[in-house]
Amino acid sequence: MLPGRAIFSNRSDGVTPMTAHERLPQNRPIQSDFFGAQTAWEMLSEELVQKHITTGCQDLDDILGGGIHCKEVTEIGGVPGIGKTQIGIQLAVNVQIPDEFGGLGGKAIYIDTEGSFMVERAYQIAKACVQDVLSISAIDGKVAETHRKKMNPNVFLANILYFRVCSYTEQIAVINYLEKFLAEERDVKILIIDSVSFLFRQDFDDLALRTRILSEMSLKLMKLAKSFNLAVVLLNQVTTKFTEGSFHLSLALGDSWSHACTNRVILYWNNDERCAYIEKSPSVRSASSGFSVTAEGIRNIIPSHKKIRIL
Amino acid sequence: MAAIKPQNPLNLRAVKCTTGCSKLDALLAGGVPCGLVTELVGESTAGKTQLCLQLVLTALLPKSLGGISSSSLYIHSEFPFPLRRLDALSRSFSQTTSCLPDPPLDHILVRGVHSATDLLAVLDRVHFLMSGPSQSSGQLPIGLIVIDSIAALFRADFDCNAVDMRRRSGMFFAIAVRLKHLASRFGVAIVVTNQVMDILNEEKVRVGNYEYVWSSGRKVGAALGLGWGSCVNVRLFLSKTASSVMTDDNRRKMMVVFGPHLPKGSCEFVIRRHGVFGIS
Repeated sequence: MLPGRAIFSNRSDGVTPMTAHERLPQNRPIQSDFFGAQTAWEMLSEELVQKHITTGCQDLDDILGGGIHCKEVTEIGGVPGIGKTQIGIQLAVNVQIPDEFGGLGGKAIYIDTEGSFMVERAYQIAKACVQDVLSISAIDGKVAETHRKKMNPNVFLANILYFRVCSYTEQIAVINYLEKFLAEERDVKILIIDSVSFLFRQDFDDLALRTRILSEMSLKLMKLAKSFNLAVVLLNQVTTKFTEGSFHLSLALGDSWSHACTNRVILYWNNDERCAYIEKSPSVRSASSGFSVTAEGIRNIIPSHKKIRIL
Repeated sequence: MAAIKPQNPLNLRAVKCTTGCSKLDALLAGGVPCGLVTELVGESTAGKTQLCLQLVLTALLPKSLGGISSSSLYIHSEFPFPLRRLDALSRSFSQTTSCLPDPPLDHILVRGVHSATDLLAVLDRVHFLMSGPSQSSGQLPIGLIVIDSIAALFRADFDCNAVDMRRRSGMFFAIAVRLKHLASRFGVAIVVTNQVMDILNEEKVRVGNYEYVWSSGRKVGAALGLGWGSCVNVRLFLSKTASSVMTDDNRRKMMVVFGPHLPKGSCEFVIRRHGVFGIS
């Protein structure tokens, strides 16, 4: 990882997107289009040019392998007040950082099941993001000038397509509708559900039905991620599980749900610091990092020993 | 269900209802938000009910004075309903402002509930009130629902075994889904009070900005556990300083435990005959 790239980050392995493109055969064999199949080589080179959505916290981006990945379903879970909604709002803002500044320049879909999406908070985060991007690009005055109009917190807010759902049937209906919606709204690069579990946690008379609905939903979300080159982020609550006489924490919706995501990140408190832990990922090792929720949004933790040194 | 269509966040700025005190409003970024469930946690006599009573009066104020020009529904599970306190408070309120409808108590609907099932039944019928009263009757629409307290409904009827805990948790979410539906569909502010429990060991799961809170010399946290904690949008803690036990000084503290739009912060306050007031 190059130092000082606070706004965006790419993959850090040896093969750069450019070399991957160069190595890509010019005359693609026809059979790779057959049945919608791709060669593994094509898949790899596609993955390498893929940009990731920054969380705003460099340390967290690093353990995620550059940020939140498109085409994948990432589940982020933790106790109330740890900052799940904050991360959701931050991602809905950061996905809009224009291409020229290393972002994806996309729109966001935010499905709010809990009512915690606060516009005033989203405005604060968008404003800080705009300021960060403009201050970095200030070196090149010309570029900044052409984008000054676009780089407005209100434009950022308007590009968050917000759905408020109040029952699990509405949640399913919106997800079913998205296939058609995304075919028209090609700019959408991230789908956030805050939270995926809240409406499913009241007593279901028929637990088998709940399991079936949930697995159908997770398949649909994976399909949306793949076919629209979309990052899907599912925020999840935690529950206390009672096993063998003691309580321990686990993510809500049960064991079968844990297959619903490609990546799984657990947020937790370590004394007074917020931490994130990669529990499951196909591409990066499990690791943990701190993060903080500031007035500007999700950021690195300022290490306490550094604070003391400054004093 | 209406046609599925995304909304533009620019049209969704949250309306707040003033607490009646500018210092507490500053802590809460303007007051109690409409469309969200705000929880007040505290031991008895920490000021939860007093603040709720004050809110049903400030809700009646016009928007120019920070209110929401709305009547309220007060659902209580602790008996009797503190009618005298509300009456006294409304009298002193009427003295300081001429903007309250007369009589203010005519705009506060009170309903007692005896069990969680009872509460669910009430919540399932609340929407009749929302679309119900005609404009001609002079009745203001309901803009605030208070539940005082949620914890009292779960004191009995549930044992500490896996089956009962599961049943209890399912009940929390059934209540919360209904509350949030009302909050979002009708733009009402919801305020729920909760009790505290002692925190004995260090293994306790930390929720929000505080691992535990000192109140009257006890180490406490919110009752009803992680399940109910996942049901509210904003959690505020009301605590009493230890000195207040000895000196009978009625100093309290409001702390932001979590809230999507609120940074960590706190404000001391006192309870006077004419209301709850923050001090700096």
